[in-house]
Amino acid sequence: MPAGLTPPVAAARSRLSDRQKDLIQTFAALGSLVALVAAFSLTSPAFLSLGNGMSIGLQVTSIALLGIGATVVIVAGGIDLSVGSVLALAGVVAALCVKELGLAVPLAMLAGIGVGGVCGLVNGLVVTRLKLPPFIATLGMMLIARGLALQITGARAVSGLGESFGELGNGALLRLVRVGDDGFPEVLFPGIPYPVLLMAGLALAVAFLLRRSVIGRHVYAVGSNAEAARLSGVAVDRVVTLTYVLSGLLAGLTGCVLMSRLVTAQPNEGVMYELDAIASAVIGGTSLAGGVGTISGTVIGAFVIGILRNGLNMNGVSAFTQQIVIGLVILLTVWIDQLRNRR
Amino acid sequence: MLDGGDDAAVPNGHAIDAGRTPAGAAPLLALSGIAKEFPGVRALAGVDFNLRRGEVHAVCGENGAGKSTLMKIIGGVHAPSAGRLLYKGVERRFASPLEAEAAGIAMIHQELNLVAHLSVAENIFLGREPRRGFLVDRHALRAGAQACLDRLGAAIDPDAPVRGLSMAQRQLVEIAKALSLEAELLIMDEPTSSLTEQEAQSLFRVIRDLKAAGVGIVYISHRLDEMREIVDRVTVLRDGRHVATDALAATTIDQIVARMVGRALDEKFPERTSVPTGDVILEAAGLTRAGAFRDVSFALRRGEILGFAGLMGAGRTEVARAVFGADPLESGTLAIEGRRLSIRDPRDAIAAGIAYLSEDRKAQGLAVTMPVDANLTLANLGAVASRLGLIDAARHAAAAQDYVDRLGIRTPSLRQPVRLLSGGNQQKIIIGKWLFRDAKVMLFDKPTRGIDVGAKLAIYTIMDRLAARGIGVVLISSELPEILGMTDRVAVFHRGRLVRILDTARTDQEEIMHYASGFGGREG
Ligand SMILES: Nc1ncnc2c1ncn2[C@@H]1O[C@H](COP(=O)(O)OP(=O)(O)OP(=O)(O)O)[C@@H](O)[C@H]1O
Ligand SMILES: [Mg+2]
Repeated sequence: MPAGLTPPVAAARSRLSDRQKDLIQTFAALGSLVALVAAFSLTSPAFLSLGNGMSIGLQVTSIALLGIGATVVIVAGGIDLSVGSVLALAGVVAALCVKELGLAVPLAMLAGIGVGGVCGLVNGLVVTRLKLPPFIATLGMMLIARGLALQITGARAVSGLGESFGELGNGALLRLVRVGDDGFPEVLFPGIPYPVLLMAGLALAVAFLLRRSVIGRHVYAVGSNAEAARLSGVAVDRVVTLTYVLSGLLAGLTGCVLMSRLVTAQPNEGVMYELDAIASAVIGGTSLAGGVGTISGTVIGAFVIGILRNGLNMNGVSAFTQQIVIGLVILLTVWIDQLRNRR
Repeated sequence: MLDGGDDAAVPNGHAIDAGRTPAGAAPLLALSGIAKEFPGVRALAGVDFNLRRGEVHAVCGENGAGKSTLMKIIGGVHAPSAGRLLYKGVERRFASPLEAEAAGIAMIHQELNLVAHLSVAENIFLGREPRRGFLVDRHALRAGAQACLDRLGAAIDPDAPVRGLSMAQRQLVEIAKALSLEAELLIMDEPTSSLTEQEAQSLFRVIRDLKAAGVGIVYISHRLDEMREIVDRVTVLRDGRHVATDALAATTIDQIVARMVGRALDEKFPERTSVPTGDVILEAAGLTRAGAFRDVSFALRRGEILGFAGLMGAGRTEVARAVFGADPLESGTLAIEGRRLSIRDPRDAIAAGIAYLSEDRKAQGLAVTMPVDANLTLANLGAVASRLGLIDAARHAAAAQDYVDRLGIRTPSLRQPVRLLSGGNQQKIIIGKWLFRDAKVMLFDKPTRGIDVGAKLAIYTIMDRLAARGIGVVLISSELPEILGMTDRVAVFHRGRLVRILDTARTDQEEIMHYASGFGGREG
């Protein structure tokens, strides 16, 4: 090498090195999660209790279930704004099936989930056949599904559904109860709530499909470059439709879980939940440009949102301030995410 | 000389320090000890480089040697990990392309960066639109764009949306855009990769004018023969290191190639081993789509490499895309092995055994956010998946690794997102993707665009083997030597018509150009 081989290593490292950025990015969501837990345990002693853990788990469940659907749709290059309304419609349909048609609860809930799937199918067809932008297509569905839910219930809550309707949302596996000497039951172990189990099982299943299956690979390819995917023989329209169907089914399930917890079906349930779902995906590293995102990231994102809400609540922070904080967290995580892709 | 990279630079060593010494002609640009590391990749390791005013300085090297990275450091896209940059004798560090532009440095990027839904004129003046008050001065915009295009001799409507342009036209727009900056230092990273000879010649004329006006030009191209036309000095990089800088007059193309590759390369094309057999594998009759091509008929035989030659806008890509079902056909029939096909989309074509390697790798070829292995297997996932549709990780990795090795794809790992690879290595990925698909008919649209000489030979050899196995190959190319060196027959296109099919062994560049320019069509 000529004379210039030993140059002054100039101010190249003024900012973070690439490797540092990389680490920060990978662990941004997880790190903030750990930080949150630590902070809240210090500020409020009740935060780390088993009971609170359970209630966080339940709160997170609905965000995570919707977030899984949102992730798949966004990775494939779309967006689904309708899930909040669709979950209300699905839950209301399940309740009415029990109350008006006298269907067995499991069947009624399947019907509710099916309604969610149909809403997703319509979204998918409007996007692929009518070629409407996903934002518009699902915005339309958001209004339609909410309108339907209000319409068929006369905008009233459906209650008096019987104890079995509450089983899915309130039951738990491995719940240990002993009847004490005084005749009152004593809970030894609260068990794992069914919704949390469902969420964990579905997260694992969808994560596995995305990582390991041909269809999962196609989802990424379509979101990364739809034209390249089409020219590689991927059935782009079918893949896109499928992502909306999945999102709709998960919204339907979420609706059933939520209404079951309250043992009441509320046509006004789930307003703005789509934004939580999208936020959890984004916090977890999913790119709105498509082609990038993981279920594990989204689940972490859902926990970040759930824990923030819970912890801020326990510290007596107002709901308005909570919104501000969550908004800032979204901006921060996405900014960190983009750090890695600079220069 | 080959291993003596360190010594090789010494004859010009004085120029490196010239930036600091006021005596003599201070170089426009002097780089010393430039290094750049990306996560897991050392792209440049202490490179020296200088450029004089009124000089065309070529930078050569294999795919992934670090050429584009070096250019991006000059142009303010990347920050160097180490090293100094002297521009007009002053140490500078451009924090963004905008800063470099303000200092008089313009860059034509290897990958096209146009906004598809804006017009040609709007793209050329993007971000610096001529104004009248608050409004864009549409007349000045149009006139300015027209002037830039005229200078290149490019017959492109300034009002046309970029979306509808061919790759070659887009590349001309990129060049026009860079020219419109009136820069003092112009970086051209593979400006001719999509151009035909004619457009390249107009570009060279412009380059000569710029040179006379004292503009310093850095020129990168894998079409090494072009260098004789315009280049003054050549710098060779290998594995991110400076190997040699020489006056072009003092060296030869063969020597440059040897320095790039690290060994002498005796030939450019492999001995053709395949012999086309009689039976037709793909028969196209009367293919027509208004405005694109008309009444195109040809028969591709087993084991044959059929070239598609023509000028810009001759309709070659359009025909290939229609055969593949990527765009609709208005009329005409297709048959594979004598069976009539109805192809509505690429899935039908792929199922029938047709593969199409697209010309535009960024927009149509690659899922750039996905890793190397996922891109290589995308068109043939079924081959590495179980019947239930689960991908077998081991087989998947093995298949991907196989093509990485065979094509010499330079990547730190199979999981590296494709967008982080060099342009030529990205191109190899698309080639690998279609080789893995293993079709009966392969339509290669400018497959060697941006590929270095050594790898080109490897790809030609693979093409020859494909043909030897009885596959029918269509090779669309704008480089006549490639057409002459690799094909059995050449179909010459002019304005959407297949004018004449020539026997490669009995034709030459003149005859092909004659038909490509529209003389002696079949109508006569
Ligand atoms: N942003 C990036 N992140 C990580 N690695 C990169 C990035 N850009 C380039 N590289 C790597 O740096 C090396 C040099 O790349 P560069 O684009 O400079 O090659 P090149 O000489 O221009 O090759 P080609 O002829 O293929 O265009 C390659 O190994 C490439 O993979
Ligand atoms: Mg390059």
